[in-house]
Amino acid sequence: MSFVKLLQTPILLLLFSVVMLSCVKDIDLDQTEEIALTPDLQVSLLVFDVTSADFEEKDTGEFAAVIRDTVRLEFLDDSYIQDDLSTVEFSFRYTNFFPQQFRNKISFLSENNRVQHSLQFDIAQGDKNNPVVTDWVEFIENERIDVIKNSIKMVVEIEVLPNQNIFEGELKFESKGLFSFEF
Amino acid sequence: MRPYLSFTILFFGIFFCQAQNKQLLYNVNGLPQSLLNNPGANVNFDGHIGVPLFSKFHISTGSSGVNLFDIFDDSNQDVNQKVSAAIRRLTRNDYFTLHQQLEILSFGWRLDNGQYLSAGVYQEMDMFAYFPKDPALLVNEGNNAYLNVPFDFSDVSFTGEIMTVYHLGINKKINRKLTVGARGKLYSGIFNVASTNNSGKFITRDDPDTPNFYRHFAENINIRVNTSGYASLNNTGMTVQESTADLLKRSFFGGNIGAGIDLGATYNLADNFRITGSILDIGIMFQQHDVENYLYYGDYETDGIEPLFPDVAPNDNTIPYWDLFEDEVDRNLKDETLNEDYTTWRPVKFNAAIEFGFEEMFEVCDYRKTYKRRNYNLIGMHLFGVKRPRSMNYALTTYYDRKFSNNLRAKVSYTIDDFSYYNVGLLVSTKIKKFNFYIAADNLAGYFNLAKSQSASLQIGMQFIFKKQ
Repeated sequence: MSFVKLLQTPILLLLFSVVMLSCVKDIDLDQTEEIALTPDLQVSLLVFDVTSADFEEKDTGEFAAVIRDTVRLEFLDDSYIQDDLSTVEFSFRYTNFFPQQFRNKISFLSENNRVQHSLQFDIAQGDKNNPVVTDWVEFIENERIDVIKNSIKMVVEIEVLPNQNIFEGELKFESKGLFSFEF
Repeated sequence: MRPYLSFTILFFGIFFCQAQNKQLLYNVNGLPQSLLNNPGANVNFDGHIGVPLFSKFHISTGSSGVNLFDIFDDSNQDVNQKVSAAIRRLTRNDYFTLHQQLEILSFGWRLDNGQYLSAGVYQEMDMFAYFPKDPALLVNEGNNAYLNVPFDFSDVSFTGEIMTVYHLGINKKINRKLTVGARGKLYSGIFNVASTNNSGKFITRDDPDTPNFYRHFAENINIRVNTSGYASLNNTGMTVQESTADLLKRSFFGGNIGAGIDLGATYNLADNFRITGSILDIGIMFQQHDVENYLYYGDYETDGIEPLFPDVAPNDNTIPYWDLFEDEVDRNLKDETLNEDYTTWRPVKFNAAIEFGFEEMFEVCDYRKTYKRRNYNLIGMHLFGVKRPRSMNYALTTYYDRKFSNNLRAKVSYTIDDFSYYNVGLLVSTKIKKFNFYIAADNLAGYFNLAKSQSASLQIGMQFIFKKQ
């Protein structure tokens, strides 16, 4: 019995000690401040397919060498873009079935139509049987990212560079943005 | 964002825990708490009354796939690399649990016919969440590295509940071999959240047959989060005092209610060889008050926005492409908040054990009493299971239970479960006259550095236990 009494206190103390003196070590919880989510999101932007009919004035039917359209990208004004966007990589691709060259201009405008960023490149001449692909990648790094954050509209302008060939064909446009965030 | 993230990680890391297995208290027939684990336990006392609020406090936590050290190891400073590695390593079946019980009242007494009645009130919290693997990958890494790979929203599955349980149990010895018991329970719900059986996939495909670089698919999206007891606390500008009063009211059947039953039995194959088993919380909760359901469902696919050239509509207004796009998304992917009643099942548990005793105890001879042979030493194996949204989770324990004297008992257990293969636990129960104190802790090795432990469990309590001479 005395042995049991002798044992009782040490066992209880041992268990208490293990529980009460438990510790958390070898970790640095200050690292929570450095935790950041960094997703890279591929997002489809604009897509279209124009033919020679799209280069005619709707009212008069006259040939128009330049066509343009404006699309509001409202998500550029959202808080996750404004606060956490770090870089963007835009990719544009034209597939040209026209036997003409085109000049392409893509602009990003603010609410007040001020140009924040624009890019221009020529679309190579194609052929209805052998379409030619023109790719363009535009990278907006962290130092210039405000040009995108300040934008709300994307304008695509296509100008035909006429030649002696018949203006007939199809021009396909693909675009995407690789948005990199740091939340 | 970062403070929220830090809080979430700490919450999951420190508090979210395994849970409901109470292997150290199971088959400890000298403690009234064994009746909560098996109402058919072969208890050897004739009355008990717990010290209010102190007769049992239990908290257990578990994370089946990650611990604090994995994320915050101070020898490797790139915490984001560690977070990404953990997210990739964890699977959709890894889970985090937290279970807590606080006994408010506990008492019991033996009737003249030999049956033992026990009753009480305890507060219980049970949280369980599977790791939402695909949504976590999407949020952490985005879709760029996962083209043509679906992000599956069925990975989102979690439940949580806080309630007060009022219970009354009866334990009856049928004959020398068999003891059975049952416990009726009334649940008074304080809070509930449940989001299970979700479905839906998000995929970004680079199919060359589509008109743009990518086509995004949201397929068969059907996500539902049911809550009760949340909306009123979240939406109204209640003061802390008002919220506290509201929570207290819910504890006394002022909110959602439910009912359940525990069943259990002990069968003595021989004087020193027995099998025991119980099924706990076969119960249902009717969530009817303060209910809010959040739904997100539908199908949608898109290649992007398609401008028409020129940029004016027939009425000379600019075409609002973005608004049209948003309208189309809203028509196809619906976001609703409803107030529909729902029912939830309690996480049913079962225990099964086989126990062998040796070194028989000798009691003072009294011809007026019949004695049940008891042993100083008990060894046994115990299987525990708890029903979770996708499957049963199991734990297998082997134990050695030693009664050193009428006043000191200790039990050492070794448990294999989803959290650890080296979980050694210890229970010590001691008595000073009628006053009993016990403490039980699992995964003792983990206490030396909780950061490296994936589970921890502690049970502690004090009460008065009466035994007729």
